[in-house]
Amino acid sequence: MAGPGGDMQWCFSQVKGAIDDDVAEADIISTVEFNHTGELLATGDKGGRVVIFQQEIENKNLPQFRSEYNVYSTFQSHEPEFDYLKSLEIEEKINKIRWLPQKNAAQFLLSTNDKTIKLWKISERDKRPEGYNLKEEDGRYKDPNTITSLRVPVLIPMDLMVEASPRRVFANAHTYHINSISVNSDDETYLSADDLRINLWHLEITDRSFNIVDIKPANMEELTEVITAAEFHPHQCNTFVYSSSKGTLRLCDMRASALCDKHSKLFEEPEDPSNRSFFSEIISSISDVKFSHNGRYMMTRDYLSVKIWDLNMENRPVETYQVHEYLRSKLCSLYENDCIFDKFECCWNGNDSVVMTGSYNNFFRMFDRGQRRDVTLEASRENSKPMQVLKPRKVCAGGKRKKDEISVDSLDFNKKILHTAWHPQDNIIAVATTNNLYIFQDKVN
Amino acid sequence: MHKVLSETVKSRGTQRRNEPKTRRIHTPHETSHEHLRSMLGRGVKRKWSCLEELEAESLPAAAEKEKNGEEGGGDEDGFLVGPSKSDMSHLQQRQLVLGLCMEKLQGYQAGMELSLRRSVLLINTLRQIQEDMQSDGVGTCTSQVLLNGVHPDSMPVTCPGCAESDDGDLSLSPPLSPEFPSQEANSTTDQQKSLPAAAIHTFSDAVNAMGYLSDLALDDIFEDIDTSMYETSELPSAWVTGSLWPISVSLWTDEDVKMRSPSHASAGSLQSCLMDLNELDHIMEILVKS
Repeated sequence: MAGPGGDMQWCFSQVKGAIDDDVAEADIISTVEFNHTGELLATGDKGGRVVIFQQEIENKNLPQFRSEYNVYSTFQSHEPEFDYLKSLEIEEKINKIRWLPQKNAAQFLLSTNDKTIKLWKISERDKRPEGYNLKEEDGRYKDPNTITSLRVPVLIPMDLMVEASPRRVFANAHTYHINSISVNSDDETYLSADDLRINLWHLEITDRSFNIVDIKPANMEELTEVITAAEFHPHQCNTFVYSSSKGTLRLCDMRASALCDKHSKLFEEPEDPSNRSFFSEIISSISDVKFSHNGRYMMTRDYLSVKIWDLNMENRPVETYQVHEYLRSKLCSLYENDCIFDKFECCWNGNDSVVMTGSYNNFFRMFDRGQRRDVTLEASRENSKPMQVLKPRKVCAGGKRKKDEISVDSLDFNKKILHTAWHPQDNIIAVATTNNLYIFQDKVN
Repeated sequence: MHKVLSETVKSRGTQRRNEPKTRRIHTPHETSHEHLRSMLGRGVKRKWSCLEELEAESLPAAAEKEKNGEEGGGDEDGFLVGPSKSDMSHLQQRQLVLGLCMEKLQGYQAGMELSLRRSVLLINTLRQIQEDMQSDGVGTCTSQVLLNGVHPDSMPVTCPGCAESDDGDLSLSPPLSPEFPSQEANSTTDQQKSLPAAAIHTFSDAVNAMGYLSDLALDDIFEDIDTSMYETSELPSAWVTGSLWPISVSLWTDEDVKMRSPSHASAGSLQSCLMDLNELDHIMEILVKS
């Protein structure tokens, strides 16, 4: 880890995307993910495209090194489709991207929209063969009888070309909308979760998947709960977790039975009766769940808070962090404008000491677990000078507004940060606003 | 106060529905979620809706608490303040949330891509409101009616929640005179019997709209059929099959005159939705023919 956990000073590094305020629908970023080394950063957008950035690793040993991510590959992952039976379009929006651990020179990632998961191979080509004597100048093949000598072609360098090709298409296994994919630690299987079911796939097999969780009731009118996120344990290949719209977490063991409808552990915090309102259930709905890197904790994000759960304690979280508690009194308005249904993601840093999540007004929050400190930062074009240090922001919930504070009523609820990612080893973060990707890094002193 | 509430809600509802309809046609895969948001203005710093002003109006005490620097502790979860003020504001809020809930549920039926999570959360909220109303009806009905000056004995039926308990399928009874005592208390008894039917239909329609999802395990069989020609004509039929507007709206409009205030918001917006749907059908016809 570069730099201490508590005294991080975040600086602007780069911003990707269009500058103008008029956001093209297709450019809305829908997912952000670093690969396992942090060298590659992938984004997916509403238009079904994947853009991969690569870190320039030269100068990494210099004290003032500034990691720069440049476009490495861009490709169209998903196209809009039409579901004839329901007469509805299937959006091409990329819901999630997950990288596979690298095994050879090529990189692999899984990208998914609402219905179909695709495995993409991203490979480099920087040499080409030359010296064949099999063709005429105009390209026609020579008559083999006229060739009298054997000439072995040589590989000569060429401009780097990055190719993305779809290697597998995993389709037709989900009736409902896919919200999560997660690669297993066994490097062979992965899971995909929709609103009511979770399927287990083998990376090599596309015509078959195993259903491991099914919460669909026999009578749909009895449906009261949906699956909102799912993830495999980082080390135990038999363990996965899924979250629900009612704020529960279920840890399942695939060794117990083929169908993991019965959970091994149920994590749920009893509701605080003094906080009860018509919106209690909606705000308790978990929008994201992430295991810590060490596999001992899970983090959940609901509308107003981030909770850290110890795998050994089911009845309450070990830590709770308020993301934007000042919104609790505004829930009715947020319900009216649909913001209450926004799904924020959350992420851990490399050594699990800090967690991060997004908020409104292009604010994002970091919580240092060890030092019990938190900070609010803003991703904006105004703070985009190279290496400009981000100033902590403060929201004034009521009472006298101090200078530099922003009042709750001035927050822009169209500017929301739903997707954030943290480099697996260094203090480099990627924060997605509606259509821009900001990269910040810790100022190394 | 009460009048301001309904007018505000109605105008907001109408305004929303009268947004350029062409937007819907060009981006059919846009979720209702995003659609509503985009209607509220993209990139524009969004001021609080008139709902917020309403909140401030109806709860001067709460606003003052906030001004004094209490961070959310006193005024949590919207309108709920202290128990003394909460009865009136609790009911108001419940009514408001109920109206919004119905609006959102009906909004999604109009052929747009639905999010199951959102629908389930909305319907659960609806159920919670119903339970709240039922428990309220049992507990505070008599007191509210007394506020009205109407003697409880003159009303043969105690309250909608308790009255219809024999109907096993009843999942929702709308709020009536207990909440709005200024209404014509005499005619409410008739309304109480006929209204729940309307509400039941709308509610179960919302649930049925979700129910059709259960029949669709076989979509892969039809994958190879090329219906690209029929794409545009599919949309109106989806609206017709998915939309149970004609049933719901007609029931509401019959009662519209009598039960003005409680459902004013919903009926008003329902009617304007129906008109919009007709216009949309008309536009689709033109598109298909061209």
